[in-house]
Amino acid sequence: MLPFLLRRTIGAVVILVLLSAFTFFVFFSVGDPALMACGKNCTADNVALIHKNLGLDQPVPVQYWHFLVGIFAGRDFTLGHCSAPCFGYSFATKQDVWSTMMDRLPLTASLAFGGVVAFLAIGLGTGLLAAWKRGSLLDKTVTGISMVLSSVQIYILGPVVLGIFVYSGIMAAPQYVNLTSNPFGWFMGLLIPWLVMATIFTAQYTRMARSTMIEQLQEEHVRTAKAKGMPARYVFLRYAWRGSLIPIVTILGVDLGSLFGGAMITEFTFQLAGIGRLAVDSVVTLDLPMVMGVMVFSAALILFFNIIVDAAYAFIDPRVRLS
Amino acid sequence: MKTLSTRRTRAAIVALAAGSLALTGCSGGSSSGKDKAQTDQDAAAQSKVVPLGTASQSAGPAKAVPGAQSGGTITVYQRDSYNHLDPAQMYVSDVGDLAKLIFRGLTTYTQDDKGNKTLVGDLATDAGKMADGGKTWTYTLKDGVKFEDGQPITSKDIRHSIERMYAPFITEGPTYVQQWLSGAGTTYRKALPDGPYKGDHLPKSVLDTPDDKTIVFHFAAPQTQLPYALAMAGYSVVPDSAKDTKDNYDIAPVTSGPYKIASFKSGKSMELVKNTNWDPKTDPARHQYVDGYKISFNHQFSDSTKRLMADQGEDKTALSFTNSVDPSLTKQVLSDASASKRLVQGYQPYVWQLNMNMDRLKDKRIRDAITYAMPSQQVVRIEGGSYGGEVAGGLLSPTVAGYEKGYDPYGKLKKPNGDPEKAKQLLKEAGKVGMKLVYAYANTEIRQREAVAIADGLTKAGFDVQKKEVDSSSWYQQMGKVDNGFDVYLTGWGQDWADASTVIPPSYDGTTIADGASNYSHIRDQHVTDEIKRIQQIPDVKKQTEEWQKLHHYIVEKVNPAAPVFYTKVLQLYGSKIGGIRYNSDTNYLDVNTLFIKK
Repeated sequence: MLPFLLRRTIGAVVILVLLSAFTFFVFFSVGDPALMACGKNCTADNVALIHKNLGLDQPVPVQYWHFLVGIFAGRDFTLGHCSAPCFGYSFATKQDVWSTMMDRLPLTASLAFGGVVAFLAIGLGTGLLAAWKRGSLLDKTVTGISMVLSSVQIYILGPVVLGIFVYSGIMAAPQYVNLTSNPFGWFMGLLIPWLVMATIFTAQYTRMARSTMIEQLQEEHVRTAKAKGMPARYVFLRYAWRGSLIPIVTILGVDLGSLFGGAMITEFTFQLAGIGRLAVDSVVTLDLPMVMGVMVFSAALILFFNIIVDAAYAFIDPRVRLS
Repeated sequence: MKTLSTRRTRAAIVALAAGSLALTGCSGGSSSGKDKAQTDQDAAAQSKVVPLGTASQSAGPAKAVPGAQSGGTITVYQRDSYNHLDPAQMYVSDVGDLAKLIFRGLTTYTQDDKGNKTLVGDLATDAGKMADGGKTWTYTLKDGVKFEDGQPITSKDIRHSIERMYAPFITEGPTYVQQWLSGAGTTYRKALPDGPYKGDHLPKSVLDTPDDKTIVFHFAAPQTQLPYALAMAGYSVVPDSAKDTKDNYDIAPVTSGPYKIASFKSGKSMELVKNTNWDPKTDPARHQYVDGYKISFNHQFSDSTKRLMADQGEDKTALSFTNSVDPSLTKQVLSDASASKRLVQGYQPYVWQLNMNMDRLKDKRIRDAITYAMPSQQVVRIEGGSYGGEVAGGLLSPTVAGYEKGYDPYGKLKKPNGDPEKAKQLLKEAGKVGMKLVYAYANTEIRQREAVAIADGLTKAGFDVQKKEVDSSSWYQQMGKVDNGFDVYLTGWGQDWADASTVIPPSYDGTTIADGASNYSHIRDQHVTDEIKRIQQIPDVKKQTEEWQKLHHYIVEKVNPAAPVFYTKVLQLYGSKIGGIRYNSDTNYLDVNTLFIKK
């Protein structure tokens, strides 16, 4: 296991370096951040001054090298020393990028955690039930509903739910409240986004759980178990269920990484300020340090969850070897 | 107020609003007779020359707001976070309201019940004492003015506030005073390359502080607009102490207004609480009725509008400083018995115009044809109807002294959808029927929709329109290039204060043509250039305004560098327990200085 984790971690770091280099170099073809901080007197002199202030007067490879050094060793700026892992200071707000991301992370993590719990519980439950009762009215109903819900988007369902529950005064608007200081406020503040996310994501997991379960039920080892006279419930949960988990866990790994990296549409729909919102805002304002920080952080989370998922395969299915 | 970022911000606001409009298919509301009368009254008040107040008008406290009560916290829903808290970096109109609450400068505006403004002393005892025909201005500080930490504000702080604007890290704020003191363009920076941070100062012959209470500005040429320029948020006071942390001051400024910053999480929230070292007896314009403000960001216009319409719970004591009613919800708001009573509206300072590149369109008949052909009303409809804008007849906004209601040399008010026949006739006379016209527009949704209407109008007039889509983030940079390769393009411009001197020189002075400059039509007219120079030397502001008016006529009628399209307007909604609401003709949003919470 350890060599596997080490190998995958090194691979992830290489991917992150390549991805960050690509983003850094491509960024400059999108636009000039100096123009966003140029004011009324956007003359060539003023643009040059801003380039110097932001360190953009240096060659791009040099700037990228400084960026890499900052992550591992920290850097000094006119705004002060930035300790490792240092992604610099935002061009737009002068805030420390790492601190800003850490400030946004609790909301994004809460959103992801609650959403995952909700959509896994509902999605897997209904999917297994539909597979268990394959062909029944229950199966058809669950399949039908999941088909409808999978075609709904958060930016459509979200405003509808807000209109019914929030703008009518039934519930308070979604907000992030610190979990440790007010657990009930935290729960109630994020309940609507969780349920809306669950509604959308559940459909995917319902359909996935149902189809993989049905496939597993037709596998030889499952039929053998049945033929040996094992109880149907035992065969279903012990043999078929375990085998059906691998594709579900694979998707979950990707979803988890994406959600922790920022559920942009969810955060926009519910006016929440998390990592996703930060990503969009920084791209729009050509805020290079923030773009790089959010991109590297989100990519790292996706890679992290993928490694976890790969490692989990061995536990789920003993036939898988981590070689 | 007119920075690129402002214009981008506005473009984004309008784009989002238009996006909502497109989704709902709503054409926006039409002003009622009462609303129209109100906006006419606003225009009449705002287009007067703002008088300079006396010492007694500059003394505090501000006139009490009828029925005002103390206490409570106002919830504020804002779409955009504040990028700058250093006043010297503040130029965009969105921060104007915040600046009114937390900062003070030498001068400010008071406003009467009819919307008439007076320019008065804020930290200073009066609006300024002029000498040498406007070349020398003297200000004396009031007793008892302090920063939030209790330190008294002295003339050294005022000098420091001006001198730090020469430092290289200040790149976004206004530059009027620095340029008047030390040279045009960016040459003023050479007078104090590091600002005051290495112990250097401007010579006493330029900026003098003979004692702790007095500051004297010495200019090479008369600067009669100084009191107005000093009222900009950018010229608010910054302490001459270790608390001016240079770059970092943008994150943690020292306030001087009735409120101070208790917390700020960029992109998330801000909390303002009472500044106990603010003395109302020194302030002629501000109140401190509420205990504080709880500001949250990321609220799109539709969200803030729906919350304020619902008027539930804490939304009863909520408002937005700058979010407008979402255009897609205007009709709904107007037809809602409760919400329609909780509205404030007024003009914004921007005039949107179709610039015509005079390097390429040299024949005035062609430019006139384009002006006649412009379907202005269709553009206004796309902008949200009569609550979002108003067809423009000239290039001076109703918020600028010198605006003339009904001024309409091209008949845009009579034929707001354009006059293609007249345009065609002019093109024929010029022998240019079917001429190619390269029309650039930004790639935002609203501009794309407007492009369809505008191209259609120009095509009907006989032009062969070639549409070119341009990235919105570099729009003004591309249009600002001298050799931009386009014939016509839509830009917006608004005044920095209610005077044509902040509109005509930056937009139409031929000597300013350069890459990045704001003379987007590249007008090189010697008469215009000479007149600008002459008018700027006139010591009497009223006389100046009359002359700007005449020059405005000349530019529109004899040169015609840009087709006037529309004047922008704002419509805002607030919670039912908010009192003291009125439109502020300086910030062009609701007035934050008079707010209170009804018990």
